[in-house]
Amino acid sequence: MIRDIAADVFLALAVLVVLASAAGLLVMRDVYQKLHFVTPAALVAPLLVGVAVLIESGYSVNSSLTWLAVLFMLISAPYLSHATIRAARIRDEGDWRGSRPPGGRPVPEKDSR
Amino acid sequence: MIGAEGFVVAAIVMLAAAVPCGIVICRGSVLAALVAYELLSSVAVMVLILLAEGFRRPGEFELAVLLAVLLLGSGLVFARFLERWL
Repeated sequence: MIRDIAADVFLALAVLVVLASAAGLLVMRDVYQKLHFVTPAALVAPLLVGVAVLIESGYSVNSSLTWLAVLFMLISAPYLSHATIRAARIRDEGDWRGSRPPGGRPVPEKDSR
Repeated sequence: MIGAEGFVVAAIVMLAAAVPCGIVICRGSVLAALVAYELLSSVAVMVLILLAEGFRRPGEFELAVLLAVLLLGSGLVFARFLERWL
């Protein structure tokens, strides 16, 4: 009974995180702001789901396969975020490193004092 | 909600996140659609896990594992092509 309630609490938290992330994705204006809301749904919510399955099933095939899927998601999320933000920078500015002279070092900023 | 019913209900409620993601995919820019796709694919992995646990079918956990593996490849391919060519 207590295990079921604990699993339900973790599931409710995971659902809340996902729905809040989806709402944030809809509300934010540009890609850079929207991308912030992928991270909770791709990192936090899978952990909560994995804990809920672990509480419900104990150490079993179900929980081990769940944590395997969670592990893949935890590994892939940072790479996907980096690749997406890199694509956005290249589409916006032509180079993901920002404005630089061709083949040269970045121009140092002038001292304003 | 006791036991496995909670997992099924959580999966159904979690699918509601597909609505805002679908709106962004249909109405946003191409890169905003890519971001929405990434969120939606993460939600799909979790929904598969929740349904497999809710219906007590251990064999269906492999679908979630497979989709989690493919998540990285598909997202990287989309991001790479959207850099310059699309």
